[in-house]
Amino acid sequence: MPADPSKIKFLVVDDFSTMRRIVRNLLKELGFTNVDEAEDGAVALQKLKAGSFDFVVTDWNMPNMDGLTLLQSVRADPALKQLPVLMITAEAKKENIISAAQAGASGYIVKPFTAATLNEKLTKIFEKVGL
Amino acid sequence: MSDFQGMEDLLQDFLVEATDLLSGVDNKLVDLEKNPADRGLLNDIFRGFHTIKGGAGFLNATELVTLCHLTENLFDKLRNGEMEVNNEAMDVILAATGTVRDMFGYLERGAQPAPAPADLLASLRAAIAGELRGAVSAQAATPALAPSAAASASEPDWQQLFQAVTAAPAALATAAVQAASAVAAPVPDPAAQANAGAPSEQIVQRAIGRRASDKPGYQGPVGRRDSERTRDNTIRVDTARLDQVLNLSGEIGLTKNRLNSLRSDILNGRSDTDTLHALDQAVSQLDLLVSDLQNAVMKTRMQPIGRLFQKYPRIARDLARGLGKDVELVLAGEETEIDKTMIEDLSDPIIHLIRNAVDHGIESPADRRAAGKSEKCEVRLEARQEGDHIILIVADDGRGMNPEKLRAKAIEKGLITDDEANTMDERQSFNLVFLPGFSTKDVASDVSGRGVGMDVVKTNIQKLNGSIDIRSSAGKGTTFVISLPLTLAILPVLLVQLGEQPFAVPLSMVREILPVEIAAVQEVGGRATMVVRGEVMPMYPLSYLLGWSSEGIPEYGVLMQTAESAFILAIDGFMGREDAVIKSLDDFRPKGVAGVTTLSNGQIVLILDIKELLAALGDSRGVPRSAFMPPADIAA
Repeated sequence: MPADPSKIKFLVVDDFSTMRRIVRNLLKELGFTNVDEAEDGAVALQKLKAGSFDFVVTDWNMPNMDGLTLLQSVRADPALKQLPVLMITAEAKKENIISAAQAGASGYIVKPFTAATLNEKLTKIFEKVGL
Repeated sequence: MSDFQGMEDLLQDFLVEATDLLSGVDNKLVDLEKNPADRGLLNDIFRGFHTIKGGAGFLNATELVTLCHLTENLFDKLRNGEMEVNNEAMDVILAATGTVRDMFGYLERGAQPAPAPADLLASLRAAIAGELRGAVSAQAATPALAPSAAASASEPDWQQLFQAVTAAPAALATAAVQAASAVAAPVPDPAAQANAGAPSEQIVQRAIGRRASDKPGYQGPVGRRDSERTRDNTIRVDTARLDQVLNLSGEIGLTKNRLNSLRSDILNGRSDTDTLHALDQAVSQLDLLVSDLQNAVMKTRMQPIGRLFQKYPRIARDLARGLGKDVELVLAGEETEIDKTMIEDLSDPIIHLIRNAVDHGIESPADRRAAGKSEKCEVRLEARQEGDHIILIVADDGRGMNPEKLRAKAIEKGLITDDEANTMDERQSFNLVFLPGFSTKDVASDVSGRGVGMDVVKTNIQKLNGSIDIRSSAGKGTTFVISLPLTLAILPVLLVQLGEQPFAVPLSMVREILPVEIAAVQEVGGRATMVVRGEVMPMYPLSYLLGWSSEGIPEYGVLMQTAESAFILAIDGFMGREDAVIKSLDDFRPKGVAGVTTLSNGQIVLILDIKELLAALGDSRGVPRSAFMPPADIAA
């Protein structure tokens, strides 16, 4: 876990604002207070390119640009490709997990989840990237 | 009490957003019926259920998750072209959508939803397994566990993971067992079963806005008010609008500072032209800012009426289908904005009107053919702003109303007398449908023949300070026109005087102001009347309506128009018009007083409820001419 969680800037991507709020609240519970939101992959990509984000938490199924495409676009962008991306989805289908892993997802979490589960996933990712 | 302790905020957000989403899904389903192969639509609907499922998971609403998941799986197959949209699939999907809505009802009351009907779940599973050939009742012949077994065989990973994630394997298993037993049970009525858990009666009930709490034997907290309050207290506002409010209040703060400094200047004896000019400017600016702020605050309450309209195409479709009619509900003016409280209060009246149009207004397909009309009918629901009013229109292209028949019916029902009927013009005859106890169909239909409804529609519209009017032409159709004020908070009023005492009457009812010559007041049938441009108008002195003793002969008459009648309100004088900010007197509401407002000079003025005052007159609806004379004059 990083020394000052409030320093890490999150982008939460989901088309359902209730869900963005849920994720935001869970992150807040864990001390991550620096959170911005985007309503789909396209908006998210724009924000990521413009701002200095440290972490992306994205839904899979969204209009305009889905989470997988967002992930692929992030990995394809030299400036962003190191960015940790945690995928959130309602599915725990094997093929989904595989395509997320292949596209370079840093983690995968299935709805619904608790702050503890989220923390566990985040900690793993932080360890990996050395934040 | 609530199943959602500590999650109330989340629940509220979810309900608001998910209800919108579901209405969108409903409309897309209606479109889908027309374009069953539209991949974009299928995708959107899939995503709708998927999103609701995701949110429901966080609320631990297991039953909702299960239902959405199954429906979503069905759409996954449909959008991947593994299955085609047919009537049976549509019926299952619509039933599922309806049940999702019912479950929202539970959530609104703060309760976890009950499981979806077992036969619905079974039909969904059967449909996903591709076994929805013709009738679901065919399932009765196949081994009971086939559908769920098939589902789990195709997705073993999911089943396991899903259970691990939702931690609710018991509920799932129970649902599966229920589904299985329902399928295995003998099927008394194959046709009903083919409807996949949504017999037409059920559809109709849902369409006319019954709630789960209306069902006999329902144990939960009853009382729609409760549940509505759950939802009432939140509103989604465009941040740009809130910014404007913030900006204006900031400006007002600055102007207040300016006024404060001017005040100390003036108190210190400075009264030169420059100071007074600055004061004048500051006050004018404050005036402008405050009215801007009022507008801006009002706008935060305004919502596009499209959010209300969204749910009607589905309702119209279900009703029409149940009645064997082909009706398309055409929407227009969805972007028109209207006060949020009004949106909620308009919901039921509009359902009644649409129901009425589809059931009574639109002819049967055979009748339409005979009349040389297209079998496809159109019901139009339209909103637009006209000046400071919102106009809502519900129009059908059906048979139109027959004034003769309406009058005959009203006489038969004892609602009016022969004499009254003879003096009625077309418009008055149409308005008979608003009388309590009026229903034109001899056989009450399930849909709208109970004779309740239209009078309720009118009462509800009037409660919103609105009016409703009917236009109809035989063979061409009927149009209901609802006119509503832009907001309930501000009421334009005319200030009238009785002696020195001012009273406010709604300006919307005022047609004109005329001088009253007591000699021109004539008594007709015991009622004081006055002829205005050839029209005989009953005349009521305000003092008489209020039960005051009259002190002088009224000098002015205000010609007022209600939905039913026009009359002259006799007064002593008038002060002009004002935009009254209504303060309601909810706790002790004297008869005939709608509320109070404060004038610019600080005086408190009662806003009169004219209709209530008239109703207090009783059946006679007449005031003798002597009521216009002070007692002394009569004696003389």
